Amino acid sequence: MSWRGQLSQIVRELRIHFCQTSSSSDATREFILKNYKDLKTLNPGLPILIRECSGIQPRLWARYAYGVERSVPLEGLTEPQITAKLEELSKYAS
Amino acid sequence: MVRGSKCYKVLQARGNANFRCLISPGCKAATEAPAEGTILRRNAAPISDSGYCRSFNYAAFSSTKCSQPESCTRIPLNLMRALANRSIDVSSLGASSSVQRTPVCSGSTGLIGSGGGLQSVRHLQTLAVTPTGPKIIKADTEETIEVSVDGHSLQIPKGMTVLQACEVAGKEIPRFCYHSRLSIAGNCRMCLVEVEKTPKPVASCAMPALPGMKIKTDTPLVKKAREGVMEFLLLNHPLDCPICDQGGECDLQDQSMVFGSDRGRFTDTKRSVVDKNLGPLVKTVMTRCIHCTRCVRFASEIAGVPDLGVLGRGGSEEIGTYVENLMTSELSGNVIDICPVGALTSKPFAFTARSWELKSTESIDVSDALGSNIRIDSRGPEVMRIIPRLNEEVNEEWISDKTRFSYDGLKRQRLNEPMIRRPGGYLEPVTWRAALSAVAQAVHQVKPEEMAGVVGKLADAESIIALKDFLNKLGCENTWCEGIGANIDADVRSKYLLNTTIAGVENADVFLLIGTQVRKEAPLLNARIRKAVRNNRAKVATIGPPIDLTYDHEDLGDGTDALIQIAEGKHPFSTLLSKAQHPVVIVGAGVFERSDKDAVMAVVETIVDQAKVVRDDWNGFNVLLLEAAHAAALDLGFVPGVTAKLLSKDHLKFLYLLGADDIKPDDIPKDAFVVYQGHHGDRSAYRANVILPGAAFTEKEGTYESTEGRTQQTSPAVPSVGDARDDWKIIRALSEVVGVQLPYDSVSAVRARFLAVSPNLFRVDELEPPTVWPQSITPRSSSSKIESSPFIKAIDNFYMTNSICRASRTMAQCTSAFANLKQI
Repeated sequence: MSWRGQLSQIVRELRIHFCQTSSSSDATREFILKNYKDLKTLNPGLPILIRECSGIQPRLWARYAYGVERSVPLEGLTEPQITAKLEELSKYAS
Repeated sequence: MVRGSKCYKVLQARGNANFRCLISPGCKAATEAPAEGTILRRNAAPISDSGYCRSFNYAAFSSTKCSQPESCTRIPLNLMRALANRSIDVSSLGASSSVQRTPVCSGSTGLIGSGGGLQSVRHLQTLAVTPTGPKIIKADTEETIEVSVDGHSLQIPKGMTVLQACEVAGKEIPRFCYHSRLSIAGNCRMCLVEVEKTPKPVASCAMPALPGMKIKTDTPLVKKAREGVMEFLLLNHPLDCPICDQGGECDLQDQSMVFGSDRGRFTDTKRSVVDKNLGPLVKTVMTRCIHCTRCVRFASEIAGVPDLGVLGRGGSEEIGTYVENLMTSELSGNVIDICPVGALTSKPFAFTARSWELKSTESIDVSDALGSNIRIDSRGPEVMRIIPRLNEEVNEEWISDKTRFSYDGLKRQRLNEPMIRRPGGYLEPVTWRAALSAVAQAVHQVKPEEMAGVVGKLADAESIIALKDFLNKLGCENTWCEGIGANIDADVRSKYLLNTTIAGVENADVFLLIGTQVRKEAPLLNARIRKAVRNNRAKVATIGPPIDLTYDHEDLGDGTDALIQIAEGKHPFSTLLSKAQHPVVIVGAGVFERSDKDAVMAVVETIVDQAKVVRDDWNGFNVLLLEAAHAAALDLGFVPGVTAKLLSKDHLKFLYLLGADDIKPDDIPKDAFVVYQGHHGDRSAYRANVILPGAAFTEKEGTYESTEGRTQQTSPAVPSVGDARDDWKIIRALSEVVGVQLPYDSVSAVRARFLAVSPNLFRVDELEPPTVWPQSITPRSSSSKIESSPFIKAIDNFYMTNSICRASRTMAQCTSAFANLKQI
């Protein structure tokens, strides 16, 4: 799990989009509940913007240095799969 | 109408666009404007309190089929009519989550509302926004009564007045003193109607409707009565309509045309009354006064200042301030709107324009974080006045004096062309090309970590996202929004928004205000709290600088001592808070800039936890942001990033100020290159190396998010000044010159970018409620120690808070007029 601690060295900003109520965002909400605290503790300076909006597709955005951004849709993924996606995003060379 | 299988919707129209289904907010047909002329059944005319009114929002019926019939509510016809007559009730119904949704097939009628008896439509408005679970009241005989209006019998909720019953029946009753938001006075007598078996006409506004009443509104007796009342009112009313500022939007003018006689029998001289000096905002011509006492009731009930009153009796009756006194309220301008005649008019607007030659633009206010809905009246390139627009969920129909009167600042001190500071220290007007390349040159000479971007108080979301993307592309993470504290965490929305919502505050019964001077920071929120104090007997306690809030409150001290005591349960107030049904904790701007902010917030969180301020059906934890730009800046993540080195400002070599005026010039290193983009030559412009002129909120279409998280847009009312440009366009152009071109060329493309950063900003006029996370998901902040230093005053002078106010002559007059009065 060492990648979590190094997140802020590669990623400049994380954004998690989801819907407040819809079932397609359930796993994303679960992901936030389980992982946000850990991620924030390990990367205190990293903005992890949790943004809700009704009826949107859950999506994970990562911004790297010099404004490069990548995103993955989270619809249909389970909580461990989302974690894997985040790990994937955290390993892109900027 | 509603009994069939079809689903009827109530629509709200704003100007000529945005028809929305207010009963089921998620309805897909919501954005479709109904075809003109075909759908609106009745009441397609503007409705306001005087019945003769201005272009407020209005409600109308639609017979279109709702796209989500299962989530639509069915309302009995009589209530629906009542709703249509009172557009306010409809909008509050639609917005609140408490609207009960019943399946279409569930059969019989049910009245919408919550709580006990549905006493009146006016009552309904407060009931409907109750966030505690929805309830349906059975429309049985106990709750409604049957009356007949002009031969048509109808069911109305018990407790309505005769005037409201007539409104339900669709009969317009002329009135002067009656106002749905004020107590009933019954002194103008204009609303006389005939009721069978009563010896004389009755004042319908003050008479409760009783079962079996037979009301007649169009008999010769009523006509004669109205004519007589009108003749009496006009006895002492001067004939100065041609020079009266109310002319063209005067209730007395309109109603005398419709209900008055064609001649009077009065030949004596009219009485004279000395004009009162109410301060630099409200002009009085007391001979025009018809003694409706709306202003007196507004001042004592809504504004909470007992400044106005009635003196004398009969022919010598006068409205006045008893002793010579100014009206010391930050809501005083609203008496201009509620005055049905020209007795109280706007002093700055006096003799500048006639109402019919003005172009109206519906927009949003930016002077505080509430996002009050306003109408900008302009003539040519000039803003002539600003008046409120009805929005039950935000500002009702009031606005603060700063919103209403600071517009003259838009004409002064404006930046109208790009400028570069030359070695001699003077600013030379240059072309856009020269200015942008000067900035680009400076950008290329510094490292990303030596740059910083600061967003000011009035920035719109479009320019904030453009600046953020621009600086990020350069590799700079040094971004912050002024006035909100350096170490702000924008991760979780519920931690920086007004979660209870502005309208929801009305339902609270215990308030704890921490480090906030609500009356100065958000006057209309203060009016809502006052409403809760009046209606629910809410208890209010403040921790922070002492202030007159216009209602009874307990001052628990100005430091953090009381806060810690409450958190430890040692303070008597903590039991009050934990026993409250709907407790509200509001953290204000006095906390943001504290060095021990994290520790203070940790204590507040403990209080919130212990008193169960956040529950499944009620979120009483609120942060009251100070400025219009704050919520959007936080939502977009315009906060110091990973590599930001905020604390040492000395290393800064390039500073981009987007309308940021509160940075002290001494804090900026001498050799730093400062770019100031804004619309006023305010404080920071004096330090700027390059000035890029932007557009003010009246000149652009900008997205703003209010402190409760509601996304709203301004609309351009007047053209921008000189060579000034929309703010996001300037940054977009600059990015191209610098060589890191931003990927958007139109305003819709910028807004599409919101979808990738904070999608709620894309939902205009909607409130995306923040998710409430358990407190355990946020890591406890490192044990910074809480200091006992007092909370500071975030606003010292209510009238001077942003660059527009500081350029305004009216605001300067207010400052000098009210400087000695400690209330404001």
